Amino acid sequence: MTTHVRRHLWLADASRCIGCFGCEAACKMEHGLPGGPRTVRVIQLGPRGEGDDLAMSFQPTSCCHCDRPACVLACPTGAMQKRADGIVFSDLSLCIGCQTCAVACPFGVPQLNPASGKIAKCDGCRTRVDQGLWPACTLKCPSGALMFGTPTRVVNQIRAQEALKVAKSFAE
Amino acid sequence: MLEHHPMRRSPGSRHERDGLVRTVCQECSVACGLVVSVKDRRIVDVQGDESHPVSRGRLCARGSAFVQGITSPERLTVPATRRKRGDAFKPLDDWKSGVDLLAERLRQVKDRYGSDSLVIGCDREGGLDFHLGALRFARLWGTSQVFHSAADPLDPWPEGLDSPTAPCSEWVDSKCLLLVETDLAASHPVAFGLIQEAQRRGAQVVAADARFTATLAKANLALRMKPGRGNLLGLALAKLMIAERGLDDRALAGAFANADRWPASLEQMSLDGTDAALGISLEDLRHLAVLLVKHAPVTVITGRELIAQPHDRIWLTLAKAMGWIGRVGGGWYPVDAGTPVLAVQGDPGDGWVGPDGRRSTLGEVTERGNVQALICSGNALAEYVSPFGRLSDQAELVAHFGSFPNATWERASMTFPAALWAERDGLFFGGDRSVEWGRTIVEPPAGCRSGLDFWLKLARRFGWEKQFPWATEDGRADHGAFYGWLLARSPAMVGVSLDEVRTLEPGSRCFWPAGESTHPAALRAGTIAVHPAPASLASGAGAPVESGYPLALVTARSSCRSGDASRFWSWTRNLTREDAVQIHPDTAERLGIENGDEVLVDTPRGALPARANLSRAVSRRTIGFFQGVTGPALVRKKDQSADEARALLDESNP
Repeated sequence: MTTHVRRHLWLADASRCIGCFGCEAACKMEHGLPGGPRTVRVIQLGPRGEGDDLAMSFQPTSCCHCDRPACVLACPTGAMQKRADGIVFSDLSLCIGCQTCAVACPFGVPQLNPASGKIAKCDGCRTRVDQGLWPACTLKCPSGALMFGTPTRVVNQIRAQEALKVAKSFAE
Repeated sequence: MLEHHPMRRSPGSRHERDGLVRTVCQECSVACGLVVSVKDRRIVDVQGDESHPVSRGRLCARGSAFVQGITSPERLTVPATRRKRGDAFKPLDDWKSGVDLLAERLRQVKDRYGSDSLVIGCDREGGLDFHLGALRFARLWGTSQVFHSAADPLDPWPEGLDSPTAPCSEWVDSKCLLLVETDLAASHPVAFGLIQEAQRRGAQVVAADARFTATLAKANLALRMKPGRGNLLGLALAKLMIAERGLDDRALAGAFANADRWPASLEQMSLDGTDAALGISLEDLRHLAVLLVKHAPVTVITGRELIAQPHDRIWLTLAKAMGWIGRVGGGWYPVDAGTPVLAVQGDPGDGWVGPDGRRSTLGEVTERGNVQALICSGNALAEYVSPFGRLSDQAELVAHFGSFPNATWERASMTFPAALWAERDGLFFGGDRSVEWGRTIVEPPAGCRSGLDFWLKLARRFGWEKQFPWATEDGRADHGAFYGWLLARSPAMVGVSLDEVRTLEPGSRCFWPAGESTHPAALRAGTIAVHPAPASLASGAGAPVESGYPLALVTARSSCRSGDASRFWSWTRNLTREDAVQIHPDTAERLGIENGDEVLVDTPRGALPARANLSRAVSRRTIGFFQGVTGPALVRKKDQSADEARALLDESNP
């Protein structure tokens, strides 16, 4: 999709994530969600390995806000939508909680919110983003594993970080 | 010089509000900055304070979600009583009748069994004011039996421990961070963010623990060791590092009051059996010692259990001898040991110590068997005062001061609803020796009171108004007056007034011990007493050997739970089962235990029900449990006898 609207990037750097659930809690509080649905989810991998040779990592995951979202195509009421800036969200005033989107999504992202009977899904913190604010999860992340910004800005950030690593390894 | 400017953050709240409260989070000792939006006397949004030097706008799960405790439908809001355990609680008209009844029952107990029949258990949820009020009340009552789940402000600090700790914000300047038996990534994620920042700047992060934790997963060098041996690791490192680097006699004389025999005491300390005592090979230890020498200054961060174990002061001695203390990015940081000596008890001595000049431990009090009245805040009773019910079963009176219907409440005969930390003003001491003022964010529910209120009301029934003078005209507790009085009398807080702490600009902090300057850097000079080494490292292990309990129970930490209150946050229930016990898959296979099975965690003091969580985070001989019970243990299937489990675990049995 070509658009002149500014798009944003939500990037999860698993190498930084410490599995503290800060993002999950921030999201739940921001959107008033109950215990069940996890719109951001930290997946713990491990500890795996043998003896003292162990490894463990954490992978923060959320909605991919796909370019061609299956959930939007499947939604019978038009509640699930994709904005010009890329955010895929469900308009809860239209959502009937049929969970067709949950079946359509290849990543199992949309989940039912048992408290409201409607779909709970990452909406990219669209209200916050419209006000120029970062999404709740990225802002509160203690480890800096979650990044948010325009693609140029985020890519620059990663480049600078990697360049620093290389420079440091030479300096040592 | 390479410069990199990270992306500018866009903080703020989208919620409509009619008030903004800037305060500190009191869920753990990091004391992150909070900016809370309030509308119609309810919290509508919680954001981090971008100007806070430690948290820098970040918040962990607990810092965001504490609101769920405040608004929990399960909250207790009226004082209540019942005849015996198992009956339904009968609500009382008001606090007045509740406190009248409690005072009457306390009097009866005292007349019949003496003043040593009362035990008061405090936990973090009850707040500093409940603990300090309890100390004062107990003193007037004539007992010293007040206990706390964390460090006790009544005990004099071991010499040297009251010397300053570098603030967490300086960790980023460290060249090496050594974390011993502490899972900061889970217990203090925001502070751990600073360690990660240091790591990105090239610092080495070394972590040693009994479990393979998130902290170990992120470390450059991760060492698995036997549980509870962290201080012995310090002794071994001291010897090896001095062998590696040598000591500067002049620096040593400047740092210590009695340095002469210390190097000799380390030299004679035998490292034979280190492998068995620590679970780390001598080769790995040497490698670590070389790494630490190479990457000075080092910040050593030790777990909160270590401060209560022998040889804890080796870390301070080591940090001082190596010259880490006094340099930015170096020093010793004991986790959760951040409360200064507070002069709540008046003149020391009379009535507070036994004939042998010391106060009884909880274990000794339990052994004596004379406890008939218990007053416990939060979940203190079930968590550590009497986890297996021995004290509460025999006591005539169990009073609960807390916010939620927890295990302590279940065993209580009276309950008094407590205000949570966000609902009361109070002084708060951060782990890095900061002094913070926690502001009331919202008013508590009508029937809930603070800990100071509780003791004030109770003291009045015994005619001790003069000793508890901190009341407003309408008879409620005046927290400002109380903490002002406290600060004025604390030796660690000379020259700091409460007004100064209350009116600190955003982004600035105040530290103790306060002297000529409020910043620790000014107070880093001065000498301490060295910690001498034992004859042999293996002899210092001193762990109780219990035959029949072949496994070691260690405390696992969870990043979504901080205390009892978090059990009543709706979303945390789904994340980590509170009764989960981590068992190594090989050990579980021997015992025939599968993931999710109902099991019993058996200890010499009693057994607790749990759910098996098969994980390689623990070693074959260790089990990890979220409930704070540690020591020798056994785990078995629910329908299995202890002897069957022992036979299956017996190594000689093929």
